[in-house]
Amino acid sequence: MTLPAVLVLFLFTLGPALYAFYLSFFSWSLLNQMHYVGLSNFTYIFTSHLFWTAVWNTASFAFIVVPSQTFVALVIAVLLNQNLPARGFLRLAFFFPAVSSSAVISIIFMWIYNKFGVLNGFLAILGIHGPNWLANPLFALKSIMIMNIWTTSGYFMVVFLSGLQAIPQNIYDAAEMDGANAWKRFSKITVPLLKPTTFFVVVMGVIGTLQMFDQSFILSGGTGGPLHSTTTLVLLIYQYIFSYGKVGYGAAVTVILFAFTMIATLIVNRWLGKSIEY
Amino acid sequence: MARTSNLTRKAIASRISRSVYFIILMGGALVMFVPFVWSLSTSLKPLSESLAYPPVWIPHIFDWSNYVKIWHLVPLAQWFANSAIAAGGVTLCNLVFDSMAGYALARLNFKGKRLLFIGVLAMLMVPFQAVMLPVYIILRYLHLLDNYYGLIVPLAVQAVGIFLMRQAFLNLPSDLEDAASIDGAGRFRTFWQLSVPLVVPSLLTLALISFMLSWNNFLLPLLVANRQHLWTVPLGVVMFQQEYFVNWPYLMAAAVMTTVPVAVIFLVFQKWFVRGIATTGFR
Repeated sequence: MTLPAVLVLFLFTLGPALYAFYLSFFSWSLLNQMHYVGLSNFTYIFTSHLFWTAVWNTASFAFIVVPSQTFVALVIAVLLNQNLPARGFLRLAFFFPAVSSSAVISIIFMWIYNKFGVLNGFLAILGIHGPNWLANPLFALKSIMIMNIWTTSGYFMVVFLSGLQAIPQNIYDAAEMDGANAWKRFSKITVPLLKPTTFFVVVMGVIGTLQMFDQSFILSGGTGGPLHSTTTLVLLIYQYIFSYGKVGYGAAVTVILFAFTMIATLIVNRWLGKSIEY
Repeated sequence: MARTSNLTRKAIASRISRSVYFIILMGGALVMFVPFVWSLSTSLKPLSESLAYPPVWIPHIFDWSNYVKIWHLVPLAQWFANSAIAAGGVTLCNLVFDSMAGYALARLNFKGKRLLFIGVLAMLMVPFQAVMLPVYIILRYLHLLDNYYGLIVPLAVQAVGIFLMRQAFLNLPSDLEDAASIDGAGRFRTFWQLSVPLVVPSLLTLALISFMLSWNNFLLPLLVANRQHLWTVPLGVVMFQQEYFVNWPYLMAAAVMTTVPVAVIFLVFQKWFVRGIATTGFR
């Protein structure tokens, strides 16, 4: 019964990972004969400026987006978990961007970030002369970060909400009876008891941000520009296949991306993954 | 006396803090809605008004013509049909394959089951983008580029779905199945006629997850569909943007029309989305 599922999963998930490892030792343009080149793809990658730019962009994207979205999601979830009016509506409002298509959201934000767009129109009212967000290397990646936090926070908020609902109310009642104020209850009960949920949110956030592609591709028109400021590792893999015809380089970057993702997950696991003591 | 005043003070304090929370959340909700409202507003303007600076929030006249013209400018109907075919195929495949695999992992005993389950868990951690390059090459070998199968087969099984269905079948009491097998029903009959009807709620969650995964997917159609008549809506809209980037009202009309089906499905099945996240934690 598992056979069809295992076959497809192997063909399109685990198999490809191994296949990428194999391909990283070959030079191939998809059209010519492939030949073995040893480690030279990796030496090329490690001495390429573009690769290190992509590493830097991807890492800084993860470093800023993951903590921000986790924090925003947690705060919204805790506030929403209070007995407030219109909770259903509010939850819907925060969650909706997470179920919309990344392509559509990118197009909408492209228009918002336009030099003469609504964001700069709004800033002008405040007397601020806004930059040309997506055409300025200083702001392009940051613009994508903001868009990404806006999109994914609501999703992780729902994850936190289900974690919050699993915390028994009587712990809070007891703490309140003992005179713990709202902040104490949050920091001494909610945060520690949510640790498994937080671990999950951070791991999924790290894995997701390290693979960012759609937003960079769409907002830069596939170039990763301006001045490679939005080139991520996955976008670089795409360009190595489709723009440069260098499958071996792309495979080498794939292998390194896997290694990064694993290392990052292990670090998070050491930091947050330990079981909690009540 | 002192006691009551203490109580009322507490009630007032809680009322104030709740109002503050409410205001913060309403502000947040506004931030969530503004981009969508702005795209709707732009889609209802003629080109000249859309470029007005400072921006105009409410169009002078609601001009619906952008919504009509875009269907003639690009093969939008074809793209919608492609998205529906791909998402329908992906959903159907996941319902069949994931539930079979989930059932086997929950109920059958066979050699290597534990290892297989660990394998499925490991694959939860591998996002599609990470294996884009090898997947593309495999699709090329299998001649799945530039046809519908290429849009369906790579997403036909999701580790998340197997995990979700395994949990669902584990929660069924096994006495029921034992009774069925004593009455002479085979494994497959027990599975289809007895167990599957009992996990319909999980199947609905799985259907939603798979449908959205395919409907919103951008990268897979970008890899697979080179020819315009195979583009899905997200890919088509992006390609259209690169050609008509100056005409934002058209683009926003396309964006609104792509979002509406998702919004309707989301509103109707909101509970199931949330349930899906609560049980698996995955989209």
